[in-house]
Amino acid sequence: MIISTNWLADYVSLPTSAADLAERLMMAGLNHESTRSVGDDTAVEIEVTSNRPDCLGHIGVAREAAVLFSRPLHIPDPRPLEGDAATAARISVAIEAGDICPHYTARVIRGVRVGPSPRWLVERLATVGVASVNNVVDVTNYVMLECGQPLHAFDLARLRGGRIIVRRGRTGEAFIAINHKTYTLTDAMCVIADAEGPVALAGVMGGAGTEITEATTDVLLESAQFAPLPVRAAARGLVLSSPSSYRFERGPDPAAVDWASRRAVAMIMEIAGGRADRGVVEAGRLASSPATIELRTDRVADVLGVALPFERQRAILAGLGFVAEAVDAERSRWRAPTWRRDCSREIDLVEEIGRIEGYDSVPENEPIAARTTAETARERTARRAAEVLVAAGFCEAMTRSVVGESFEATASPWGDAAPLVCTPPLVRGADRLRRTLVPSLLEARAGNVAVGADRPDLFELARGYLARPAATDTPTPVDEPLLLAFAMEGGFFAAKGLVEAVLEQLGLAGDAGHAAVSFRPADLDLFTAGRSAEVVLCRQGQSPARVAVVGEIAAAALSRFGLKGPVVAAEIRLDRLAFAADVERTRRRPGDFPAIERDINLIVDGAVPWGDVAAAIRTAAGELLDDCRLVQVWADAERLGAGKKSFVVSLRLRSDKGTLSGEDANRMVDEVVASCGRACGAVLRA
Amino acid sequence: MIAAFLADLAAFREAAAAALAGAADDAALEEARVEFLGARSGRLKAVQKLLSGLAATDRPAAGRHFNEAKEAVTALFAAAQERLAGAAAPRAADALDVTLPGETVRLGHVHPITQTIRRVQEIMARLGFESVDGPEVEDQWHNFEALAIPAAHPARDPLDNFYLAVARGADPLLLRSQTSTVQIRVMEGRQPPLRIVSLGRVYRPDTADATHYPMFHQVEGLLVEPGTTMAHLKSVLRQLASSFLGGDVRVRFRPSFFPFTEPSVEFDMEWGGRWIEMGGAGMVDPAVLEAVGYDPATVSGFAFGLGVERIAARRYGVADIRDFYRNDVRFLRQF
Repeated sequence: MIISTNWLADYVSLPTSAADLAERLMMAGLNHESTRSVGDDTAVEIEVTSNRPDCLGHIGVAREAAVLFSRPLHIPDPRPLEGDAATAARISVAIEAGDICPHYTARVIRGVRVGPSPRWLVERLATVGVASVNNVVDVTNYVMLECGQPLHAFDLARLRGGRIIVRRGRTGEAFIAINHKTYTLTDAMCVIADAEGPVALAGVMGGAGTEITEATTDVLLESAQFAPLPVRAAARGLVLSSPSSYRFERGPDPAAVDWASRRAVAMIMEIAGGRADRGVVEAGRLASSPATIELRTDRVADVLGVALPFERQRAILAGLGFVAEAVDAERSRWRAPTWRRDCSREIDLVEEIGRIEGYDSVPENEPIAARTTAETARERTARRAAEVLVAAGFCEAMTRSVVGESFEATASPWGDAAPLVCTPPLVRGADRLRRTLVPSLLEARAGNVAVGADRPDLFELARGYLARPAATDTPTPVDEPLLLAFAMEGGFFAAKGLVEAVLEQLGLAGDAGHAAVSFRPADLDLFTAGRSAEVVLCRQGQSPARVAVVGEIAAAALSRFGLKGPVVAAEIRLDRLAFAADVERTRRRPGDFPAIERDINLIVDGAVPWGDVAAAIRTAAGELLDDCRLVQVWADAERLGAGKKSFVVSLRLRSDKGTLSGEDANRMVDEVVASCGRACGAVLRA
Repeated sequence: MIAAFLADLAAFREAAAAALAGAADDAALEEARVEFLGARSGRLKAVQKLLSGLAATDRPAAGRHFNEAKEAVTALFAAAQERLAGAAAPRAADALDVTLPGETVRLGHVHPITQTIRRVQEIMARLGFESVDGPEVEDQWHNFEALAIPAAHPARDPLDNFYLAVARGADPLLLRSQTSTVQIRVMEGRQPPLRIVSLGRVYRPDTADATHYPMFHQVEGLLVEPGTTMAHLKSVLRQLASSFLGGDVRVRFRPSFFPFTEPSVEFDMEWGGRWIEMGGAGMVDPAVLEAVGYDPATVSGFAFGLGVERIAARRYGVADIRDFYRNDVRFLRQF
């Protein structure tokens, strides 16, 4: 909203500069956008919040200024001279859709001379950025910018049948607007029709067929109230916003319908001549029942934290147009003005008093009592997991939660349900809520490769979105796992090592007693077949759950993002691991007695996984096993036999009770080998 | 008598210091040692002999001065020895070129948005605000109705939200447009007193430009306790501003409008002599308290929200917030 300071001076005389005015208005809720000189006038652009349609006219802003500077406010009371002919004899008004148009008024002025506006009018409109059209149209714009009530002038001669019918649009109905473009209407919109068809899109724009031209002599002036929804449907649906629709979407003062009509008729007669017919033709009625609100005097201090004398409270409310119905020192009762439909409760009055008094008086040294907080298990889990990747040299990425179809072309590791789709897309072509972060990281990696960035290893911590079956009754609408994903150059074991490091940092390395994790082969189309794994968590009393996947990215996925391999990625369900943050781990004291190292070379069938051998070693060695390290895996048909492979394992044995002898160690190695033989068919290579 | 002794002592000390500092090699240093500290006929010995000639009453004070001078000169000798030893160390043929680069340690980097969020979280935690987290896909009750945004409100327009093709009950779900949803969820499940910070991603269909992105982050604080006033709100924001920006930062309230707070304000912080817009705030609207089953007659509260991208951009001097989402490691490695 642009304010002309000259125009404002018609209603309130201000003792101050435009800069002071703008500052004071801003500190009372009308944000200052800009100030500039236009001729001998000053244009002050302010931002009006959606609850204050009264300030979409100069009078509303003048009222604020009058209260802020304690000056009187003068508002004209136009009483246009009327002729003898009754308006009702010439025209009729009917509202067919009272829900979208509660009140419609029409007046008629005959014998106007349409032409250029006088200079003062042209200049005022120019200050606030409105181009002059002709004297009749300029008056309707002027009055709207004065009081916030949009008006429309029809060429009465071209209004077929002299009838105004306010109704819903008919779906598919065509309408030619004043801009000479044709629009197709729907029944969500409200139209003004004459005897034959639509002549205006109610509250939005007039029609080409009835617009005021040089040839117009008789004018029908519309001043009406239209509901916000149909106006918004038309303005948005047809991309046809106007100053009128902007105001109707926010709800102008219902009492201004009559004032604006009288004001505009008086001005048109003054500027363009002509004579008004007698009376107004209207349908519906003034829809306004201002609230009566009780205010406890103490309430102001209870909310603002600073007390204001009752006299000051009363002066502010009265200045804003609230009418006192009952007053004593402890409580008072107020009727809100018709233009302040945003005020219906005590708290609304407190806000009015606070903002006019100014919040600079609110103290800024009011302590709050001390309270303690602690990081939640989920926060701690996320932070510690991310720390592992930062320590490993990864940069944290932030990619879009909503992705294109190609990102979701591969199956999600976390469920089969199709991705959720949003409208509109987040950005062009991206309308799917992602179920995994990995493709986003691949795209980010490709972007880095394209600009030649060195080693763009990225991780991200974000939610995935998984649709639930429709019937599930859960606190949150969809399942949103907390995911940690990373992508890097390298092979499977590089990524596996990082996953293991994260698990270890979260207290879940191998078998942690209360919970055990294990890597198992997994088959996901995101990864190259045979080169990926899932991590399965087993907790007592719960069914095993997948908590991570890791693997080398499949060629198809790489080429989708224009990447060259080898790229490896992993994704971890932190939401399923957060429980471990609350488990107090027992730490072991390092042993005092010396360890004995023994290397063994076990030959097994090529298909036997290391995990089975490691488990057999641990079972046999029990507490004495300090460390078991795989040194080498090798296969050689000539030396080991076809289909065989060798695991070279270094065992470190140690007892907490005393120094182990060489014989103790040899006995233990024999048991380990025997155990591996029973479990995996392993034999010791001589 | 003692005056003459002290003068001799001072002269000794000055001459010894000059000789020891001036010794250019081991031989010169040894010569100086013999002259000044020599056990048999050094000048120190000579000064010491004068002690016995002093009056008995002067002797303790004179002795103290003598010991002090002796220690000082001995220390200077040690320093000179060290100096010459250092200079004389042979320069090994295989000495390192210490100007060659060190082995690169590849450090990872936390995203600047995460760093900003953590900083606000940390400050608020010290004020007793606990961090909470909630779903990004929301129903209309939590995103709108409980926040006093009724069905006809423009904020619910399909063009202003990312609605999903699936519904819960009659209403389609949507990506949350604010983190206030989490505050509603927490209030529904707990009774006051309550101090929380909700944070995370929010979504609004803005065209991406230097200051807008359809996905961004919010941090919102909520306090609900009996007797809470705007003075508490202003004081907490001032503490947040002072900790975040450093120094004693002033906070300014400008009246504004949000459906879920009343009174509502925008809050500015004074930074580098200018008022900088930081976010929106206000007293929790009684209708919101009622919607979650609290009694507005007995508790009141305040809420505030910050756009993380905006304050991160300002803090780090980033001109285009889209840079935060380009994920270019050359950018991220600077944080």
